[in-house]
Amino acid sequence: MINPSQCNHDDSMPGANPFAMQEEGTVVEISTMAENTYRLRVKAPGIAGKITPGQFFMIRPSEGYDPLLGRPLALFDVYEEDGRKVGFDFGIVVVGKLTSLMANWAAGTKVELWGPLGNGFPLPECKHLMMIAGGIGQTPFLAVSREALGLCSYGNGERNLKTKPEKMTLCYGARNKKYLAGLDLFKMDGLDVEVATDDGSEGHHGFVTGLLEKSIIKGNKPDVVYCCGPEPMMKAVAKICLDENIPCLLSLETTMACGFGACFSCVTKVKEDDGGWDYRRTCVEGPVFEAEKLIL
Amino acid sequence: MTENGTKSRLKAKLRRLEFKNPILVASGTFGYAKEMSAFVDFNKLGGIIPKTITPLPRTGNDPPRTIETSSGLLNSIGLDNDGIDEFLKKHIEYLLSLGTSIIVNIAGKNIDEYCSLAEKLNQVEGIAGLELNVSCPNVSGGVDFGTNPESTAKVVSKVVNSCDLPIITKLTPNVTSVIPQAQAAADAGTDAVSLVNTFQGIVIDWKKRKPVLGGKFGGLSGPAIKPLALRIVTQVSKAVDVPIIGVGGISTIDDVMEYLVAGASAVQIGTANFYNPGVASNLVDQLEQILDEENCSHYSELVGTLQL
Ligand SMILES: Cc1cc2nc3c(=O)[nH]c(=O)nc-3n(C[C@H](O)[C@H](O)[C@H](O)COP(=O)(O)OP(=O)(O)OC[C@H]3O[C@@H](n4cnc5c(N)ncnc54)[C@H](O)[C@@H]3O)c2cc1C
Ligand SMILES: Cc1cc2nc3c(=O)[nH]c(=O)nc-3n(C[C@H](O)[C@H](O)[C@H](O)COP(=O)(O)O)c2cc1C
Ligand code: FES
Repeated sequence: MINPSQCNHDDSMPGANPFAMQEEGTVVEISTMAENTYRLRVKAPGIAGKITPGQFFMIRPSEGYDPLLGRPLALFDVYEEDGRKVGFDFGIVVVGKLTSLMANWAAGTKVELWGPLGNGFPLPECKHLMMIAGGIGQTPFLAVSREALGLCSYGNGERNLKTKPEKMTLCYGARNKKYLAGLDLFKMDGLDVEVATDDGSEGHHGFVTGLLEKSIIKGNKPDVVYCCGPEPMMKAVAKICLDENIPCLLSLETTMACGFGACFSCVTKVKEDDGGWDYRRTCVEGPVFEAEKLIL
Repeated sequence: MTENGTKSRLKAKLRRLEFKNPILVASGTFGYAKEMSAFVDFNKLGGIIPKTITPLPRTGNDPPRTIETSSGLLNSIGLDNDGIDEFLKKHIEYLLSLGTSIIVNIAGKNIDEYCSLAEKLNQVEGIAGLELNVSCPNVSGGVDFGTNPESTAKVVSKVVNSCDLPIITKLTPNVTSVIPQAQAAADAGTDAVSLVNTFQGIVIDWKKRKPVLGGKFGGLSGPAIKPLALRIVTQVSKAVDVPIIGVGGISTIDDVMEYLVAGASAVQIGTANFYNPGVASNLVDQLEQILDEENCSHYSELVGTLQL
């Protein structure tokens, strides 16, 4: 007989989400940020008190089966009442079933939430942090910036940045000017914002990767890059960073069904020590990965 | 009602299988349980069935592996798992510590593979039973044992004879009638049948002229399949003398009651774990309330009470 407690127990497989919880939240307000792009605020004190920059949560309507599954969305920012974190904001761009509904949610709408989920961005212990965002991929970087600049603390208060980065840059790319969302929110001392649009209607004419290339040429090479956006854009950023030896973290936007590791649908190819690769679950091992570990 | 009385009126017995209550969670929808620890009170559950285990590791299908449909979910995960040896190393100790019955779901390409998995698991202390996945629509290369009564009978009887563990046979709905396979499994000595696995389906991106899922075809689950699965439970319950575990689209206590009334002696919660992660342990509490309302001294008084 095998006694299970004498099995060579190996805890190398991640899965538990020790801080996650399920919570009913209430929509507090909704505002338009840009073309097809909205900011929503929900009251949900449990998740708000724990979530950190780059982490995500799952959301669905409290009632009904269509849409059925929760959708993963990134933390934009938390908000406080009477000095306590009581809820959070997120940004959405309308692409399908649930995001179309969300654009019409009114204050008071009940929503089912579970989170915080996944591994967010680590505290930027570096001199020059560059955040590169494509489209709605900008949302994680508001909280990253505010935390790094000491304007807000997230989570249970155990995250303490030893030294602020000397320089922080947000490179933000969008299709055109109409899609640039929340630029006013990113106005903070210590953060340089550079914009690129595909059609040149604002800022650099071309892809956001052009801003990274420019800054490398000018001798302003970042020490660390955080990146979130559409896959082709992240691939391009990862390639430049690998060539230039810049550590680069990517936040993947994989399709998810549960968000907490139970369904094995959100897989991405991660390199193994033996030179091969394995499908790993983005929701529990990511969504933030070191670019060099991924097969993109 | 005393604590003991409360417990005993939920106690489920399906031949050699015993669960503290009839609410289990379905294979492939509860990970290896660890993933659910933040949301579910495991100790409350009747049982946990972790993801299907195969003899060797399987990478699974290419993404996308899931796509939502109207009130449903189509998946082609492809039995992504690390194989039996890693399962025993990484997961079994944790699972057996959760205070609920652990049913290990297994799949093989041939009868020998099923039997060798059963023999290995037979050596582990504390496992409550095995569930034979003879019905996964996602695995090519293997025989779909559950699609005809002869091969169902063969695999079930061989596994029953190769271990001492109680056996559940999980059947596929992708046949003209499930009754012959259920009868064959019963005759071969299964302790229960799980009805049903997912319904085969496809989602097409017509502009690309391509299926959306990496595995091309997938298995449909969720509220969309409940009437279909419930129909099968009803039919098998009338035709075959075998305990039934109902699976398919359960997300509320009314869904649970419908399955019990249709003839299921227990149920499994599947896709609902994804969109309401705390649901399974909540349903156990709600089942107790219903028994109070219905003045039942044991839940089995309601099983199979459907008047057709
Ligand atoms: C960790 C993480 C964080 C994220 N953060 C954000 C965020 O902060 N803000 C944000 O806006 N988004 C974010 N996303 C993306 C977001 O989750 C999706 O945009 C959202 O799930 C879309 O939901 P929906 O119901 O509107 O779209 P769905 O209806 O689910 O459709 C999603 C996409 O799939 C396509 N699709 C759907 N069905 C089919 C079909 N049958 N055939 C072909 N294509 C189909 C749609 O066209 C659409 O592009 C994040 C994703 C992840 C993984
Ligand atoms: C993502 C996913 C993965 C599944 N994996 C398995 C599996 O590994 N083995 C198995 O026997 N059934 C598997 N199933 C089937 C479920 O256990 C269940 O039979 C089916 O989903 C119907 O129940 P539901 O509608 O409540 O989900 C899976 C279902 C889903 C949705
Ligand atoms: S979304 Fe279910 S495992 Fe990642």
